[in-house]
Amino acid sequence: MTSTFSTPGDFEKKPTSGRERDVDRDDLEDLLGVLSAGTERPPEQYMCDGVSPIMAARPSSVSELAEILLVANQRNLAVMPQGSRTALTLGRPLTHYDLALDTTALNRVLDYAPEDLTITVEAGITLKLLQESLAEQGQYLPIDPPPGDQVTIGGLLATARSGAWRGHLPAARDLILGATVASPDGSLTRSGGRVVKNVSGYDMHRMHTGALGTLGVIVEASFKLSPLPAAVSSFAIVCSSLSRAGTVACEIWDRNLATRAITILDSKTSAILDCGDVATVLVEFAASESVVVRSEETLREILRDYDMSAEHIGNDIWAQIRSLTHRDGIDTVIRAGVPASEVSGFIDHMEIIDGPSWGHVAAGSVWSCPNVNAQTLLGLRVVAERLGGFLQLESGSKSLREVVDPFGVSDAGLTDSLKSQFDPRSTLNPGKWKAVST
Amino acid sequence: MTRTQPSPLVRDLQAALGIEAVLFEPEDLLPYEFDSSIDRSAPDVVVLPRTTEEVAAAARIAEEHHVPVVPRGSGTGFAGGAVAVMGGLLVVLTRMNAIREIDAANRLAVVEPGVINLDLQDALSSFGLLYAPDPSSQRICTIGGNVGTNSGGPHTLAHGSTVNHVLGLEVVLPGGSVVNLGSRQVDAPGIDLRGLFVGSEGTLGIVTAITVRLIRENEAIRTMLAIFSTVDEASNAVSEVIRRRVVPMAMEMLDQETIRVVEPRVNAGYPLDAGAVLLMEVEGLVEAVDQDSEIVIEACKSQGARDIRIAKAAEEREALWEGRKSAIGALGHTAPAFYLLDGVVPRSRLPEVLHQVLGLSREYGFKCANMFHAGDGNLHPTVLFDPEEEGATERVLQLGGEIMKLCVDAGGSITGEHGIGTEKREYMDWIFSEADLEAMSSVRLAFDPTGRFNPCKILPTGHGCAQGHFEPIKRKLGPGIYV
Repeated sequence: MTSTFSTPGDFEKKPTSGRERDVDRDDLEDLLGVLSAGTERPPEQYMCDGVSPIMAARPSSVSELAEILLVANQRNLAVMPQGSRTALTLGRPLTHYDLALDTTALNRVLDYAPEDLTITVEAGITLKLLQESLAEQGQYLPIDPPPGDQVTIGGLLATARSGAWRGHLPAARDLILGATVASPDGSLTRSGGRVVKNVSGYDMHRMHTGALGTLGVIVEASFKLSPLPAAVSSFAIVCSSLSRAGTVACEIWDRNLATRAITILDSKTSAILDCGDVATVLVEFAASESVVVRSEETLREILRDYDMSAEHIGNDIWAQIRSLTHRDGIDTVIRAGVPASEVSGFIDHMEIIDGPSWGHVAAGSVWSCPNVNAQTLLGLRVVAERLGGFLQLESGSKSLREVVDPFGVSDAGLTDSLKSQFDPRSTLNPGKWKAVST
Repeated sequence: MTRTQPSPLVRDLQAALGIEAVLFEPEDLLPYEFDSSIDRSAPDVVVLPRTTEEVAAAARIAEEHHVPVVPRGSGTGFAGGAVAVMGGLLVVLTRMNAIREIDAANRLAVVEPGVINLDLQDALSSFGLLYAPDPSSQRICTIGGNVGTNSGGPHTLAHGSTVNHVLGLEVVLPGGSVVNLGSRQVDAPGIDLRGLFVGSEGTLGIVTAITVRLIRENEAIRTMLAIFSTVDEASNAVSEVIRRRVVPMAMEMLDQETIRVVEPRVNAGYPLDAGAVLLMEVEGLVEAVDQDSEIVIEACKSQGARDIRIAKAAEEREALWEGRKSAIGALGHTAPAFYLLDGVVPRSRLPEVLHQVLGLSREYGFKCANMFHAGDGNLHPTVLFDPEEEGATERVLQLGGEIMKLCVDAGGSITGEHGIGTEKREYMDWIFSEADLEAMSSVRLAFDPTGRFNPCKILPTGHGCAQGHFEPIKRKLGPGIYV
């Protein structure tokens, strides 16, 4: 059975039935072989939620990827695009999973103009490789997504995850200048461009950023870059309570120093990071040497009024924070968006839940790895929403994600409408947004 | 005295919004037939709602009567975005001008779409906060209009455009339903419908409230004016500053033609014999400002700056900026008409493209004054002409098309901040393929299946326009290009 959706709303109304796919494996292998899209890893290594796909493809070019996607679409296969596989359980469990589409072979730098502070890359390149290339010219892409630089650019954009720098620096969705996207109908489409200012047509690259690969597969992207700061310096401030931590953190933010991160750790997170076993505020300065020194002096002045002090710590603390969500044994990760002034209060509220919590003040984001059931999760969402914010389930068990809406978004059916336009047969990540029948 | 019989559409709108909010007599519609572009077309009826509910009612009634809907702020757009090219209902948002909330502690504000950009800036100043997008038209443009065109302004270089400063939107969709896109916090879950909506030029819905992100004023600010003998030197200086790893808050360039028009009117301190001036600004902690301005000054001197002036007081700073921001208005006094263009190229290609722009203008026999957001590569050639002169308008439009082609050929784009509107619809296939345009059409269909919201804007003929009962307007835009 194929599905076509001619008007918004039809997508929701499809009756429950099986998804008939043309999955003659030999035929598919022959076809993919013709397309020169082999893979070095067996399908079992592309498992998600305990399900292995029938096949895995690792195209070596953008055009190959587009052809594979077209074939999959024609045969009604369910495709999961993936890169570093660090966000597989963000969203609802897929209703079907037939083909793993591994983007990691698309890892070239296509155009780099250091004098213009712009770069265009294939989406399978890792942030690590990209940053290393840029560092040679004294530049970087100023984003620090969890769990770390092993993420691919495509995954970074599809999830739109941000780290501690958010609120001090732009996010991926602010830095993206344009993108090329492969659609299930086999087309490759572009939006934006390679210039830093552009309002030509609809910014489809913004639509795809954060769309979790459900509307298309990002295959190339252009970004605006920044010069690398000359000096970086990090400090830890031990606090007697989360409330004090919040007050101090907000005052530091308010003073507009050369901060690149202001993060509040609860006692559990402090212990994990060897910062003690009480609430801690971490601060990172990034600028020229003299500005960092000035910022540090001002920080100490601020803390004197609170009878507190700042200790120098290694800058690698931030990489450790980024990786907190992906430690062994972590099952559930949540991210709340709350007002900056409520970050410490929300972390405090989550003290009753078993699991470390931390928050980035400028972004108003609170992360936690709690051990919670659906009811508690929904209760936390209510608290966040009452503060004017939201709560997203960043990862969780299949059973949890089946009963809890990971997103809590209400958009008058616009997501469904876009899905019906861009992926009417639900080839890409079917069921990711909500429990849908196909 | 009412002379025109109200149509059923008018009667329904009057019942929903009140008689005084609905304009339908021809003389009342006249002020709304044009914006700041060269397009002109009268709507059939104008409404001035005061609330989200009234906007929703207007959208619902328009749907029931199958008429196009065009949102409008102050009408300062240059691309024809607020012109009702197919007639229909013009929804003017200027009465919705309340600043609903300023949350200084969390650096956000909630404003209605009719709030004037500068009024918001003024309201924030006592909190030590800024709303970063500052288009040159900020004295009259509205925040809703800024959302429609993803407006930039001189400080886009460091701070980005409107989309980087909008957290959430309340939107009335085609048909009249109301939806909230985004959030009061960054990185809201779901597809970034907020980001998709900003810059959609009123084709996807009508924004009725905007949650904007605010930034803290910096400790120190330094404004500098570098004077060069040639535009080349000034352009090279822009690249040299970036190469030395300083990204100023703003880098604006004015050429000699512009200086000679602006200076007598504004007394900004621009030397009349300068080939070009670069107006630059750095902000941050005092130490950062000292260091960065030293680097900027050295960079400019290395490229031939013959003098560099530093604004010593707020009044001097304001005067320097007044010169830049009032340039368009000043140019308007020097010729019967002008055509303000908006193109963008990679920063490094600016010198070469500027030469070509000036050469083309000379070929066509027009004076062309140039001002640029040089740091972004966003150029605004302004062609001065007399529309009474036979064939002049046609030639100016042709010249405009060729200048846009130059930008595209240099790896740039056809608009940096003014938007596509009607003006550049037919240039879209210079930079996008048929598949790209079809994909954009799909976005439009997802929001507006009937295609009645701001029809015939953004996408070229054949992509949702001139279909159904709409007739295309015949208008020559450039070499072989017609709408």
